[in-house]
Amino acid sequence: MRRAALVVFAKELRDALRDRRTALMILVASIITGPLTLVLMAQFVSSLEEKAAVLKVRIAGEEHAPQLVNFLRRNDVEIEPAPADYATRVREGRMDAVIVVPGDFDELLLAGDTATVEILFDDSRTESAPAIRQAERLLRAFNRETGTLRLVSRGVSPDLVEPVKVERVNTATPRQKGALVLFLIPMFAILSPLLGGMSVAIDSTAGERERGSLEPLLANPVPARAFVAGKWLAAWTLASLVAALTLSGFVAAALLYAQKKLEALAAFGAFELVQFMALMIPFAAMTSALQVLICTYGRSYREAQTYVSYLFSVVSFVPLIVVFSGLKDAAWQRAVPVLGQQMALSRVMRGDVLVLADYVVPAMVAALIAAVALSVVARLLRQERIVFGRS
Amino acid sequence: MIEARLLAKRFGDVQAVRGVSFTAPDGAITGLLGPNGAGKTTTLRMIAAVVEPTGGSAAVDGHDCARDPLAARARLGVLSDARGLYARLTARENIAYYGELRGLARAPLEAAIARLAELLELGALLDRRTDGFSQGERMKVAIARAIVHDPPNVLLDEPTNGLDVMTTRNLREVIRRLRESGKCVVFSSHVMQEVSALCDSIVIMAHGAVVAQGSAAELLEASGRTNLEDAFVALAGEEGA
Repeated sequence: MRRAALVVFAKELRDALRDRRTALMILVASIITGPLTLVLMAQFVSSLEEKAAVLKVRIAGEEHAPQLVNFLRRNDVEIEPAPADYATRVREGRMDAVIVVPGDFDELLLAGDTATVEILFDDSRTESAPAIRQAERLLRAFNRETGTLRLVSRGVSPDLVEPVKVERVNTATPRQKGALVLFLIPMFAILSPLLGGMSVAIDSTAGERERGSLEPLLANPVPARAFVAGKWLAAWTLASLVAALTLSGFVAAALLYAQKKLEALAAFGAFELVQFMALMIPFAAMTSALQVLICTYGRSYREAQTYVSYLFSVVSFVPLIVVFSGLKDAAWQRAVPVLGQQMALSRVMRGDVLVLADYVVPAMVAALIAAVALSVVARLLRQERIVFGRS
Repeated sequence: MIEARLLAKRFGDVQAVRGVSFTAPDGAITGLLGPNGAGKTTTLRMIAAVVEPTGGSAAVDGHDCARDPLAARARLGVLSDARGLYARLTARENIAYYGELRGLARAPLEAAIARLAELLELGALLDRRTDGFSQGERMKVAIARAIVHDPPNVLLDEPTNGLDVMTTRNLREVIRRLRESGKCVVFSSHVMQEVSALCDSIVIMAHGAVVAQGSAAELLEASGRTNLEDAFVALAGEEGA
């Protein structure tokens, strides 16, 4: 039985690796998804950081506000005069924020009155946010300085208007900031075994039925469960392989890009990869078994492909639910397939330390589901409607 | 030796096989002859232990097919109705897969493949992938993998279907060689000439039941006709074949 299962395993693996579809999928998984996603993300995030790092404001009507200009210059802020059509440019997203100074600004300020400035922006564009916040912060600082000077000139202590001094201490480590950006890595981790196991699962079940090789195969003196075990092992192997390749792609990309541009991405290194794989290999056992099960119902490659895509949709929904519902970690989640893995992976990304139960409980649930699914497949392979039901 | 005793199979409301009994001895070719839908394939599937009978029993060398399917299958080589190959594997790999499943070690397996390649004239095809193969070439590979383990009993379901004359002649020769080596061969066909040219004993089936059996001479005598085709029509056709 064990020997026969290994024979089936070796044949399915060899058959799959000769399939161009499988080869292409492995290539896409390992070379394209991980690195490409990270490169794009790194570009996006570093452009945000650049916007915030260089202190630069655009001002329309700077000639009306010599004091403000003076303040900004003293604080090493680069001032750029806004072009005449700044309002259109902001609306079209070609410019992030513009400080608009009205003609009576200087006059009111010198008289000790309240002067107004406008910050023109479009807050529906998230990438403008750092520039808007920066303009606000600079104007507040100018306010505080001018106000303090006014109080001092009247002989009042500036501390009177600031009973509470607020100091900002950001506790988010670079890793935690990274986890926000990189919720995508857990999502890829969860979907990659589904992608990897798919072609073997389809080809070794519905594919066998379609090409009429299942009936002669089952006439061999081998118990059905040996066939099922061999086919599942092949699907599991490819699923784990594709997961490992996808995640290694992320590690490689993070190494190349992180140091220079984005500290946060360095959080995904070899140690995280090992933790991820410890979670994903048992997970892949479950997804492959489920794929083999649902594909056994397919009479043709195409039909099975449709069934598999349903499973893919259901699974890919879970990370989205987690992200949008803002679910908090809890022990019960370990026992829920997909959710348990998703939460544990996110915690690895945040740099939390996982305990043994975080690995063992989801793995046991996955093993149980896989065992049930495979015993159902073995029973199905003895049913005439599955073995002979073609068309 | 293959024995069928009152084999019966019902699919839902359809009684596909009703009480089929025959004995196929070693060193002889037994033909199942009958029109399409007579129940030949279902009968062979029950002997191959891939379909469970709803009545009666079948045994291969004394091993009951329903109660001990693995033992029965181990004594059988089956060319089934479905005979799909793995297109991305070479002919050799297709044949070797079945040999390995039956536990053949590497050296005897290679020897068996070499012997079959000669018998079936497969030589040049062995190391090519099977996706470009013709119908006849596929059939040869399917037969080679069915008998790679040199089984004492061989089931062939319509082996000459869709083959050209040359391939059919080659195949007949192969079947005769199997008989000469003392095997029990059961082979089904709806073509009368095929059966009369090869078989030592003929089982005529219609509507899931055996309507007559015996050697060609016995069947002629039983029907009172002078040629086998008339005899076949007289025996099977009366029931609306």
